[in-house]
Amino acid sequence: MQKSRIFIVIPVFNENNVLRETVLSLFHEGYRIVIVDDGSTENQKKYLENLEVDFLRHRINLGQGASLQTGTKFSLMQGADIIVHFDADGQHSAKDIPLLIEPLISRKADIVFGSRFLGESKNKIPFAKKIVLNIARYINFLFTGILLTDAHNGLRALTIDAAKTLTIKENRMAHASEILFWVKKKNLKYKEIPVQIIYTEYSKKKGQTIWQSIRILYDLILHKFFE
Amino acid sequence: MTPIQFILLSGLLFTALYFYVRFRNRVADVLLLLVFFATATVFILFPDWSNIVAHKLGVGRGADLVFYLCIVLFVFVVLKLYSRIRKLEQLLTELIREKTIEEAEKQD
Repeated sequence: MQKSRIFIVIPVFNENNVLRETVLSLFHEGYRIVIVDDGSTENQKKYLENLEVDFLRHRINLGQGASLQTGTKFSLMQGADIIVHFDADGQHSAKDIPLLIEPLISRKADIVFGSRFLGESKNKIPFAKKIVLNIARYINFLFTGILLTDAHNGLRALTIDAAKTLTIKENRMAHASEILFWVKKKNLKYKEIPVQIIYTEYSKKKGQTIWQSIRILYDLILHKFFE
Repeated sequence: MTPIQFILLSGLLFTALYFYVRFRNRVADVLLLLVFFATATVFILFPDWSNIVAHKLGVGRGADLVFYLCIVLFVFVVLKLYSRIRKLEQLLTELIREKTIEEAEKQD
């Protein structure tokens, strides 16, 4: 498979130079990179100078879920074979992508989720985070009947067929669970692959707080009510 | 007429007029409002009647009955508004998404 037909969608909101490092690490691998700037108040292009990437910009801030959907739709229109969702804050590793997309190429899965609980980085997860993620995975299980080892990992890969069947409607952070709803509803084959999560001060700052987890739960309940 | 009756009635009249001016072309809405305002007026002028209804329904006081009904109505309105907001949000997202993809640029 041509690497240029593997699209990496990166939602971006008021990032710093870590964004450039993230993009560079992917760029060297030869993937096509789609940046979705979710209405940042600061100019994000300055971190992307001299890098050939697709730059999309929401006029207003809609949320990470909406950005992923925009990037995914754009990738489909541009003729992607595989779409990878990747975080901008440097917590994912470009080296995990070949492992992540292997099951898609061999048709063993339609969608692959990265899991920090399967790999070596398991022991590096902060304690509070571990508890919240464990609660979250059982909540997802209650809602969908699918029990993943990692509930809210931003690293995932989809085939075009999977990307076409699902439309992320949860604009904010509940999209990770919403994708599971789609997996269940459309009977997609899924697989979990161990991935590395690099916790830095920056990624922790950018990551989710307990309060946001409650917001996700709230969004999920409303999603069930109104969809 | 007690002062509270006067306050409630004038408030009701004002609201009724406002809605009538805005929705006079929608017969069903106007009819519904008419029924609502008529009921309210009757209970303001004859507060004891609400007690009679309340007793029949197993509620101690008329004022309590009105309060309970208001809670149900309130929840209904909130849910209704919320689903409307969600629809609007999805519409807005779609619009922004289309615009975004239209304006997508290749950077180098």
